[in-house]
Amino acid sequence: MSKISAPRSNREFVEACIKSGDAVRIKQQVDWDNEAGAIVRRVCELGQAAPFMENIKDYPGFSYFGAPLSTYRRMAISLGMDPASTLPEIGKEYLKRTNSEPIAPVTIDRKDAPCKENILLGDDVDLCKLPVPLVHDGDGGRYVGTWHAVVTKHPVRGDVNWGMYRQMMWDGRTMSGAVFPFSDLGKALTEYYLPRGEGCPFATAIGLSPLAAMAACAPSPIPEPELVGMLSGEPARLVKCETNDLEVPADAEIILEGVILPDYKVEEGPFGEYTGYRTSPRDFRVTFRVNAITYRNNATMTISNMGTPQDEGQMLRSFSLGLELEKLLRSQGIPITGVYMHPRSTHHMMIVGVKPTYAGVASQIAHLAFGSKLGPWFHMVMVVDDKTDIYNWDEVYHAFCTRCHPANGIHIYKNTVGTPLYPFATPHERKYSIGSKVLFDCLWPVDWDPINDVPTPVSFKNVYSKEIQDQVTSNWTAYGYPPVK
Amino acid sequence: MNQWEVFVMDVAELVEGTDLELTIRTLNPGVQKYTYKRVRAQVSTALDQFADQLQVRLGRGQLSKARFSIKVIEEIQRCPAKYL
Ligand SMILES: Cc1cc2nc3c(=O)[nH]c(=O)nc-3n(C[C@H](O)[C@H](O)[C@H](O)COP(=O)(O)O)c2cc1C
Ligand SMILES: [Mn+2]
Repeated sequence: MSKISAPRSNREFVEACIKSGDAVRIKQQVDWDNEAGAIVRRVCELGQAAPFMENIKDYPGFSYFGAPLSTYRRMAISLGMDPASTLPEIGKEYLKRTNSEPIAPVTIDRKDAPCKENILLGDDVDLCKLPVPLVHDGDGGRYVGTWHAVVTKHPVRGDVNWGMYRQMMWDGRTMSGAVFPFSDLGKALTEYYLPRGEGCPFATAIGLSPLAAMAACAPSPIPEPELVGMLSGEPARLVKCETNDLEVPADAEIILEGVILPDYKVEEGPFGEYTGYRTSPRDFRVTFRVNAITYRNNATMTISNMGTPQDEGQMLRSFSLGLELEKLLRSQGIPITGVYMHPRSTHHMMIVGVKPTYAGVASQIAHLAFGSKLGPWFHMVMVVDDKTDIYNWDEVYHAFCTRCHPANGIHIYKNTVGTPLYPFATPHERKYSIGSKVLFDCLWPVDWDPINDVPTPVSFKNVYSKEIQDQVTSNWTAYGYPPVK
Repeated sequence: MNQWEVFVMDVAELVEGTDLELTIRTLNPGVQKYTYKRVRAQVSTALDQFADQLQVRLGRGQLSKARFSIKVIEEIQRCPAKYL
């Protein structure tokens, strides 16, 4: 395997982005109260360079890095690829690396771990000492965790989980978060800790290397510390926490250590979400008590600002959800050409290309996708044939509007797993995470006679002979038209 | 004078002339801004009734036009003592 040279820390990533013009240094003072959030939001909506804010009001010595992976260029840089790589190229590289052998992490000595440069314990622990931003005006609180990993360990199986689950600062020692019951951490809590009334040790790592962050929000069955190794081609460097047995990425900018409380909950939200709305209600949610804070000198807090496209919620999550679904379908031997989630769908629509060699293949795809661990995150599956370019929305939309039979091609599934985040869901459905799903089958039925029943696409490429096509294209400029690239 | 903010689904939850238990956050400038407390308090639509001021946000963070003055009677600790 050729050597991968991906940025190994947030600092290396910021440097690489500044060098390629994909980040800008903001030297003037920025307020943590709304201003920083508004900068990141505007950057996302305009698709511009990531802001590295070096001077934060009230917080000398700290900086912000916003919108880390809200463009395909920055996703390519994070993987150590040419920033100009195309989406299918980036996707192919992600699949290649995540289908390789797992690479186990290594534990390093705490004296070599940058995240231990400053340590706050006991009465010194106060989240207000960190530049926790108010990301959107009207949010239920300042969010500590918007681009981070919550590290926990399964109490029985022992496997480690890093998940990106948003965390709000309730007071200087308390955070609340949206840990959905179907997530890996949600299941560990509901299956084990909550019924026993036991606290669950956690660590939150902020300012991760971009691939560690990518792993924390990729719905992969591979434990994230190994997934980072596979993505970056080298072992992740971890270090033991100060107050529990968990291990955290040694080069993270900020670490919070503590316990998830089994018998105490505080309010969380509302918060601007990946769908582009504030949808999920304020509620009593999973509550984290912080017992230690460690951080690097001149620590950088990373910020993702979720809202209308395009931020990490759409760009990165559409990317990794789509590719993990592609792996799932291929593992089951389905003759697919690929899977694509268009960022504008906020990863709500899975577009699948398939060679329709047997009846019911669209249903098979929908059942697998909706029934998988990833199923709660989208509610539409659109299946097109292998001749349709799944990356070309014009083609997919044409197939949908012409081939999907309104009575036979649309299949609705009720009472599925949902999330409180779906804007279209009823208030009752949001409260109880009740979902519903739909399949759009845009394949010609296999029991139609391919000669006499299946309509013929009428296009330049399809209906004219090779000779006529060549004649017309070679004479194109002679007819008086500008050349076609 | 302190500035406070509360989230409610309906402004009618803020009944005057009686003790209420509320989760409020401080809007005073500084690094503590937006941190929460659980309190027993009284509120009044007469803005000069109590020294502190309270503004209101609704279910999805919309700022309500309603304004109150507020008297924080005491802080309530809901967190079990074993964690403090
Ligand atoms: C910026 C960002 C914020 C997210 N916030 C949450 C969240 O609050 N709760 C949640 O369950 N998932 C959230 N997700 C999605 C999870 O990170 C994703 O489902 C991840 O795969 C969870 O890990 P798990 O599969 O190990 O549970 C977020 C993703 C991103 C990119
Ligand atoms: Mn996981």
